Order: sequence, then structure tokens, then C-alpha cells
Amino acid sequence: MNKGPKDTKATPADASKTKQPITAQFSANLKWLKDNLGASSDIVVRSISDRASGMEGAIIYVDHLVDQQTVNQMIVHPILAEIGSDSNLSPLDWLELLKNKALSVGRIEEVQSLDVALAQLLDGNTVILLQGCASALSASSSGGEKRGVEEPSTQTVVRGPKESFTESIDTNLSLIRRRIKSPLLRIEFLQIGKQTMTRVAVLHMKGIAKESILEEALTRLERIDTDSILDSGYIEEYIQDATFTPFPTMLSTERPDAVVGSLLEGQFAVVVDGSPFALIAPVTFGQFFQSSEDYYQRYDVATFLRIIRNIAFFVSLLFPSLFIAITTFHQEMLPPPLLISLTAQREGVPFPAIIEALLMEITFEVLREAGVRMPRAIGPAISIVGALVLGQAAVQAGIVSAALVIVVSFTALANFVIPSINMSNAIRLLRFVMMLLAAMFGLFGILCGLMTLLIHLASLRSFGIAYLTPFSPFIWSNWKDILRAPRWTMRTRPISMSSGSNRTRQGRGQGPQTPHRPGRGNDPNPGSNE
Amino acid sequence: MERISQSQMAALIIVFQIGSSPLYLLGKEAGTDAWISILIALVLGLLLLMLILLIHRLEPDKDLVEISNAYFGKTIGYVIGAVYFVYFVYQSVRNVRELGDLVSLYFLQTTPLWIVISMLLLIAGYAVWHGLEVFSRITQILAPIILLIYVGFFILVYTLGFIDLHRIEPVLENGLPKVIDAAFGVVSFPFGEMVLFLMFWKFVAPQKKVFPTTVLWYMVTGLFISLMNLIIIASLGPISEMSITPFIELMSQVRIESYLERLDPFVGAVFFAGVFIKMTAYFLGAVLVGKRMVKSGQRYIVVSIGVLLLIASLLFRSYMQHIRIGFSFDVKYHFPIYQFYIPLVLLLVMLIRRSMRAKKNGRS
Repeated sequence: MNKGPKDTKATPADASKTKQPITAQFSANLKWLKDNLGASSDIVVRSISDRASGMEGAIIYVDHLVDQQTVNQMIVHPILAEIGSDSNLSPLDWLELLKNKALSVGRIEEVQSLDVALAQLLDGNTVILLQGCASALSASSSGGEKRGVEEPSTQTVVRGPKESFTESIDTNLSLIRRRIKSPLLRIEFLQIGKQTMTRVAVLHMKGIAKESILEEALTRLERIDTDSILDSGYIEEYIQDATFTPFPTMLSTERPDAVVGSLLEGQFAVVVDGSPFALIAPVTFGQFFQSSEDYYQRYDVATFLRIIRNIAFFVSLLFPSLFIAITTFHQEMLPPPLLISLTAQREGVPFPAIIEALLMEITFEVLREAGVRMPRAIGPAISIVGALVLGQAAVQAGIVSAALVIVVSFTALANFVIPSINMSNAIRLLRFVMMLLAAMFGLFGILCGLMTLLIHLASLRSFGIAYLTPFSPFIWSNWKDILRAPRWTMRTRPISMSSGSNRTRQGRGQGPQTPHRPGRGNDPNPGSNE
Repeated sequence: MERISQSQMAALIIVFQIGSSPLYLLGKEAGTDAWISILIALVLGLLLLMLILLIHRLEPDKDLVEISNAYFGKTIGYVIGAVYFVYFVYQSVRNVRELGDLVSLYFLQTTPLWIVISMLLLIAGYAVWHGLEVFSRITQILAPIILLIYVGFFILVYTLGFIDLHRIEPVLENGLPKVIDAAFGVVSFPFGEMVLFLMFWKFVAPQKKVFPTTVLWYMVTGLFISLMNLIIIASLGPISEMSITPFIELMSQVRIESYLERLDPFVGAVFFAGVFIKMTAYFLGAVLVGKRMVKSGQRYIVVSIGVLLLIASLLFRSYMQHIRIGFSFDVKYHFPIYQFYIPLVLLLVMLIRRSMRAKKNGRS
């Protein structure tokens, strides 16, 4: 538990109270706990007593947070088995006995204050109070319902691991730990959120990640002062570098292999309990165009796909605005046959190009949103309706021209190519800005928009790393991962992220080599000169 | 303290030098020998560059205003600062106006000029607001793109058979004096403009390499501009001397089958990028000087200088007037003051005072 000078550890809802120590009066302790929980009906108190030694106590847990089987078999059953075994045990001896022998769970803590005991209860642990002891035992027994590990639903791959994170932080950390069996993987826990007391884990590779960046991240995380953390999106908004930007400065992913790959390149990851999306930072612009599959495929294919994605970025950003600019201001740029057919198509259309394009784009955005929000059962209906409003019917109704339908559809397709949802959302927003600029100032407007975008991107930073690395500041060796060079050429980790002392990640000369065995292949035996 | 890298400085020099130079036929008075005058001007400009590099060498961690304050005292230093402020603002205005006029001429005939210029200044102000580091980053990204597009133009013009080297004959038809005469005009535009870098050099790291990097890229871009000039003359011949913007003239003649009729947008984009960077560089220079002179917040300085630029750029009556003033008056009488005389006096004063200081230290 990393704690700064300020006590960020969440205290129970009523923060004005001082720490309540555990007294030897067992009933008073029990009453305090019950009062603080408002006699909530899911608190289970099971009394235990031993006549022989005069021991009296209680096993307390919150019903829905514990794993019932653990509580029954590992805690209650062993304690009951101990009762009556030895008649001259003092309360303290009982505590020792339970702690060291009887309770067969992994983690047992001795707590001194009722506040901590309360927090433990709410964390799904079982608390054991004994009469005459000024401390209580807390045995880890958290359980409850959670989802199994499934295939990723948003970042699918054809070839590669098919596991994705779930809502349980323990499952997620185990998925990561299992992939890096190195003692250098360090995990720090924090509790954020006064009411939700959400567990947040910060992961990094010691000696690979830059310490300064990590310090900065932890400082920012500890600064968070809020009621609730319901998803990693909350954390992202609190610790990101810039607010007034459509661009994400942290990468969210549900793929453990993506997190592991980033950790090994010197980035850090934040895993939040209750969210199947982990955050990765610091990130650069180029990383939003990478899919983990690029590393599992042949490098030449992966390079080709990355180029396609970058083209898709420009298409989905500029295609509609270029259409508007050219048809409104710069018809002379088009070859005459194309111009004639375009004009013929637009003959029946009552609107100027900008209105037409805005209509279609908004229609598409509505359609897309409907597709997300729609209950599964009526899913098929959307494709039928979509084909009507964005297709031949719209053209025949004389509302839009056929060319624009093509433009909007291709733009939409290009937008789906971008692997990161956050990035493609940013482009969706900016597309409308570009369309308005194009409608007002034509190509000059688009140029102005692009220039502003470039300045904005250049001014962004993600945890101190310039967003446009390696384009600018120009780092030649990082370009290997913009294009995905063959694996054996990527000998060093990216310069900007990893710490300087330890940058080599693989040995030299691992490229393919011809086997030097005589009689193989078609090279003659070098020993014979006859 | 902001820092810019060697490659970023190189990109700044490239884009800043190329800027809008290919737009005009520099050294027009020399006729078909214009490219020779550019080479001569390049050498003369190199001497100027050495002069200001020497100033920077003596005080590597100070900018122009700080140096003049240190060597001339507060009052005269302030005056020199004000003088350079005017110069940077004027240069920025010329570039804004140039770009605005070209956009109005070729892209948006119906939009009022002040709207175009306001948009340009808004974007430039946005870049200046973020400071030198961000500005040099965007330059670093734009420089390779600009160069690639120019190379593409060369290849197109060459393969389509526009270039006819007979058009530059006879070489030195009117004798060398005329060529040298034309060269003096080219020295101050664009080569002498390197004086602006006295505001930027102190941010470059590592300082040791400032000298070789600057000289190398200055020479490369100078040769590039000369080559461009040669190509324009060799492809257009006598038309090139009549046209206001020979390069655009040339590009509008390029067509590939019937697919690519007009390359204008590309030409426009390249000029937009080049001139935009140039005007923003001057804008930034003016802001840096302004910061030294007025003790007020960054935002007030940027906004007020932006408004000043907008008003000043609309004072020119027309594009033609702007060009005439530029090529007949500014280049010959006006700019040399800032680009040669003041730096020369500054350097002499620096050397004298330094030697005096050294003597004093020797005696004590």
C-alpha cells in the first residue's frame, strides 16, 4: 500500500470519527460494528463460545461479499473443531490458536482498531472478535459472483491470445502475472473513492519503466479525492494530462497481452476493480493505430495493415470535407467526366453539399448509436433500416446523391478500421469540424483545420512524453514500431518510455541464418576442391 | 527553459529559408542568369550568417535583446529591442499578407481578405501560444513533407519534358556586374533573414553543434532554391519574368493525361505550410522580444501582437504594392539595416568591450 503524507486510505463514511480502538469488551465492539453498518440485514454474526475455557466470541461477515464455502469449511468448521479441546486457554491463547493453527485460510491479519475491522468486513473478509482480546482477527474470505474469462468483445484478433479482462481485479492481475513470470513486475495497490473504496493497482516493470514517470503517476492517483470510482474511465479523466482535447492520452484495453507488451516496453498500467478495461500510459499517437495482432503476424503483412490504418485515419477525418470542398469551391480539380456525372447526380438534390453531407453523417451517427444501445433481440432490424436510410432508397427519394452515400459509407468503414475506440471517437468529432470548415472556406479551410490539428497534437503530452513521438521529436529507432520491422531487428525498447540504463531486450544476430551443415541445401561441400 | 533539438533546428532553417522564395523569381533583374545571382547571394549571405553566428558564439545563452541590453546598457538596448520588434512584426505582416493574398487569388475569390488573414493569424497565434518547442515540432513534421512534394514536382516537370536547358543560354549575356547587382537584392530576401535565429539559437541543445548544423542546412537550402530557380527559367523561358508567380504558372501547366488536371491544391498546400511557418516564426520572434520589453502576461502579448499584425497587414493597398515595396525598397535599403548594419555594430562593440574587460581582469 503506497501512502503519501496525506492519509488517502479511505475511512468509513463518517470521516469525522477518530480511530476507534478495539476494547476488551466484546459486546461493545460488536455493538459499534453493528451500529456503524446501520444494522444492515446482510451482516451475519455467528456467536461462538466454549464453556470449558469460558471463551466467548463472534464470527462476523457480510453475507454477499464472502465465498460461503470458504467461510464454512475454512473458518467456521475449524473453529468449532477446536472448541472443547483445552480448558485452560486464556482469551489471548485462543487468539494465538486461531491465528496460527485453526484457521485454514491464506491471509490472516490481526487488527487493532474497529475502523480497520469494518473496512475489512466491507472488503469481504471475515472478522473474528473474542471477549477479553484487544485485537480482532481478519481472515480473507472474499468471494461472491464474478464473470469468467471470456473472449475480448471490442478488440478481437484472428491470431493471438483470446482472453480478456473481467470485472474482478484479482482475475485481471492473475492474467497479467501469469504472462510475466519475472520478479521485476511490481504491483502497488491504492484505494480510491470515499464510498466505493475501489481497489486500484498500478503495475510496472522495475528497472524498465522510468521511475520519474511512475512517481508522477502515483502522485496524480493519490491526489484523487472523490466519492466513487466505477470504471477505469473515471481514473483516466482524473489523471490525464489535458482536458480540452478530443484525443485520448491514455490507452484503454481489455487484452492482457496488450498490457503485458506495454509493461515490457516500459509503460505502466492501471487496473481498476470493477472494470474490464486496463489503462496504459504514457502513450503516443502512433500506438492507437497498433493492434496486438500486428506482433503475432508476419511483419510485412503487419506493416501493410498499419499503413492501411494510417490511411484510414485520414480518410475518416477528411473524406466528407474534401467532397464538400471540391464540389462547392474547386470543381475544376476533378476530371471532366467525373465532374459531369457528379453534377448530373446532384441535379435533383435540393440541398447544398454541406447540408446534404451533414444529414447523411448525422444519420449514420444515429444508426451507429442505435446499434450500440439496441437490445439484442431487435438487433437484426437495425441492419434493414440502416440499409434503407443510408442506401439506394435515400438516393431514389431525391434527398441525397449516390456519390455522397458512397463517401459516407466509406468514411464509416475507415473509422471502424482504427483499433482504439477512443481514437476513432475523437476522429468522429473532428470530422464534423472539418466539414464545417470545408463548407465555409473550401480547401483553405481544410488546410487551416489540419494545421490547427497538428499544432494541437504537437502540444499534447502523455505523462511528460510528447504525443507525437517518434515523428517529432524525431527518434529514428522508434520508427521500427511505427512500421513493425522484423522482430529480430527490434533490439531495443522505445527510447522515450524506457529508462536509459536498460534498453536492450534481445540478443544480436537472431535473424535467419543458413545452416552450416555439409550435404544440406545446394551449397557444395567447402572442404573438397577436386 | 524550452529546448529544441538539432534536427528541429535544421527543419526550422529549411522551411524558414524556402518559405515563399520559390514563389517569386528571385534575382529577376539578372534575367536568365538569376540562378547565378542566387549562388552569389548565397555566398554573401554566408558572410552575414557568419557574422550573426559569431555574435551567438560570444554569448551562447543570450538572445538578441539580452545581448544588446548587456553591451549597450538599458536604454540603447531597449531601443534596439524596439527596432527589432518593428522589423519582426513587419516581416510577419509581409508574410501574412502574401499568404492571404494568394489564398484570395487562387482559392477564395469571394471571401473578404480580412477573414482569411484573421484565420491565419488565429492559427499562428495558437502555435505561438504553445511556444517554441511545439512550434519546432510542427516544423519538424512539415519539413520532410514540403521537401517531398517539391521533389515530386521536379520529377513531374522533368518527366513531362518541360525543362529545356537551352532557355538559360547564353550564360552571362549581360555581363557579370548586372548579375552581382541582382544578387544584392537576393541577399536580404531570403538569405539575410537568418538574423531572426538570434532569438532561437539559445534554446538549441547541444550548443556545440549549432554552428555546423546551421551552416550545412543553410547551404543545402540555398542550393535548393537556386536549383528551383533554374528549373523555373528553363521550363518557362521568357514568361517567367513576366508572371507574378512563375512557379504557380508552371504548375498549372502540368497535366497527366486527363486524370490530374490541376496540381494547384498541392502547390497551395506547400506554400501554405512554408509561408505559415515563416510568418509564425517572425510572430514568435516578435513575442519573444515583446516579453523582454513589457512585463506582462504571455496571453496579453500574443493577443495584442496578433491584433497589431491583422491591422498592419490590411494597410497594404494591394498585392502588387506589397511586392513592389518588397523588391524595390525593402530589400535594398530597409532590411540591410537590421540584417547587416546593426549586427555588425553589435559585434564590434562586443569585441571591444570584451577585450577591455579582459584587460581589466588582466590588470586586477
